[in-house]
Amino acid sequence: MIDASELKDSVENENDLVTKEIKTKSLKNIAPSFKNYREEYKYTPFIRRIEKKFSSFNPSSDIKNHEEYRELIPDSEKYYIVIVNGSFLKQISSLPVEIEINNYKGLTKENREIFNSTYSKTDDSNFDIFSTINSIQHQNCLTFRINKSTVLDGKISIYNIVDSKNPVYFRKCFHIGKNSKVSFSEKFIYTSHESYFSNSVTEIFMDENSNLNYFTDQNINKNYHYNSINVFQKKDSISNFHTYSFSGAIIRNNLNIKLTEKNCYANMYGFYAIKNSSHIDNHTSVDHIDESSISNEHYKGIVDKDSNGVFNGKIYVRQKAQKTNAFQANNNILLSDSAKVNTKPQLEIWADDVKCSHGCTVGQLDEDALFYLMSRGISRKDATSLLLSAFSTDITDKIEDEDIRENYELMILRELEELNHE
Amino acid sequence: MLEIKNLHASIDDTKILKGLNLSVSAGEVHAIMGPNGSGKSTLASVIAGREDYDVTDGEINFGGSELSDLGPDERAREGIFLAFQYPVEIPGVSTTNFMKTAVNQVREANGEKPLDAVQFLKLMKEKMKLVNIKQELLSRSINEGFSGGEKKRNEIFQMAMLEPKLAILDETDSGLDIDALKIVSNGVNALKSNENATVVVTHYQRLLDYIVPDFVHVLMDGKIVKSGDKNLALELEEKGYDWIKVKN
Repeated sequence: MIDASELKDSVENENDLVTKEIKTKSLKNIAPSFKNYREEYKYTPFIRRIEKKFSSFNPSSDIKNHEEYRELIPDSEKYYIVIVNGSFLKQISSLPVEIEINNYKGLTKENREIFNSTYSKTDDSNFDIFSTINSIQHQNCLTFRINKSTVLDGKISIYNIVDSKNPVYFRKCFHIGKNSKVSFSEKFIYTSHESYFSNSVTEIFMDENSNLNYFTDQNINKNYHYNSINVFQKKDSISNFHTYSFSGAIIRNNLNIKLTEKNCYANMYGFYAIKNSSHIDNHTSVDHIDESSISNEHYKGIVDKDSNGVFNGKIYVRQKAQKTNAFQANNNILLSDSAKVNTKPQLEIWADDVKCSHGCTVGQLDEDALFYLMSRGISRKDATSLLLSAFSTDITDKIEDEDIRENYELMILRELEELNHE
Repeated sequence: MLEIKNLHASIDDTKILKGLNLSVSAGEVHAIMGPNGSGKSTLASVIAGREDYDVTDGEINFGGSELSDLGPDERAREGIFLAFQYPVEIPGVSTTNFMKTAVNQVREANGEKPLDAVQFLKLMKEKMKLVNIKQELLSRSINEGFSGGEKKRNEIFQMAMLEPKLAILDETDSGLDIDALKIVSNGVNALKSNENATVVVTHYQRLLDYIVPDFVHVLMDGKIVKSGDKNLALELEEKGYDWIKVKN
């Protein structure tokens, strides 16, 4: 079980007053969050596995020579942010001038006030035990302030580097100003092939008419990862989330979006190709609070032998949220008898004038299609590759930026090549 | 070219072909006719190598090699082509991309160099004319949202691209109006030569007005019960399949 004294110490040792308040509140949330665990982690035995691997939830702050980390960043990156074991390394990051990126504890009074209204206000630390622990154990919250009417071409890459045998906590807060448009691409890089654990919680506040593209890719071999992204959208804002997962002992993604005002638009796209006994769990929720908003969700995945996929998509439509359009789909292909998927749509609708649809499918490669392709002389292996990559195209097609899209298409082709063994 | 001897085939323990014999030589057109459920489509699928069917006895010899150990891809590379009765829709893969992969894999298997993009496009343009198919249709997902006629034209287009030694047309006339039927038949006739052979599987005599067979075989209950020339088809059309049943 979780060692409460260890968590209490973390709260005691916190010097920053606001952070201490957050940690104190979160400590009280341990019990309520635990109540949800059984249902929310029905198909993902996460806590048990983490407890077996780690004697403590205490973080590590050891950081090696910075140059070693710099080498992990490809030369092609223009703007990038390097975070190692939860600490922001400004010295080896390359930041655009338009964005202010700082540790919360080092903020000016004005900026502090901006983030005080969101910091740990919109996350799921009163609901998910891993977020609760993150709220207690994180040391630094990295804040991103995008001023109003900032339009950035290209993407900003965030490299979260995990280089510790102890659990690692990442914590981020974004404030995206009115009429701004930005793209972030987040990667999690582990310096070991197995047994490291990172826990990342992100809160994103989107002001009126802002536009965000957010990419996440996860290919972490036998390591463990928890990722919770919590979004709070104001009117006329548009969010686009693209989540690509390939390997991990256990990966759990929570993506929670609150559409708090009128005419919001939220797009959630995910693709997973799970191999090597990996376990990937996507839990999403979109909460339509006010009227005339649209949410659109499509996750697709291919699961290879001995691997597990989990999808759970919640849609809430509150009474006030008339004229809501909410769509959800999850499609899976199992490549082996020992591949497994648990998928569940969960809709709760209180308004009466809404359009909602959902659908889950779990199937195999279409043998008729395979025979058709092979009957023209294409080998089974290549026919399989064609079908699997075709399966991913309606997810990659949703990426607006051509360079980013091509990058993901290539990444998927590489991964499918490994999946597709005869 | 094709020598089928005493072929027995079944699916899920249901026997469908029960000792079928057929011999096809280069330059010939054979029509296989028969009532519903007689095993016509099974025969076409078994020759093409569909794995759902178990060949329990007999042999299929093609150009001197025994086919039973070859997968559908290998048979295609040997020169066998099946035009499907129900062409499969494949979202996300364009016909162009599909054909490029197929043509080059077949070429490679035959020791030829793969075509580059320019050569491929040239070949494609040439073959498109044959069946009056537009390029925009070919850059769409294979058969997705195609009309019945477009699907069948796409089959003949693929056949033209691959230039098979033996083409098997499985109920290619089903679902075609008279204009589409003419286009498809013209395509098939244009591809005919002394080096290749065509097996037309059909229900009705109508198609055989356009693709004129050298031999007509009647398939009933998994066996060929009668063979003749094109007049046999006309006789069947007039008298129906019961005529043969009664005679036997």
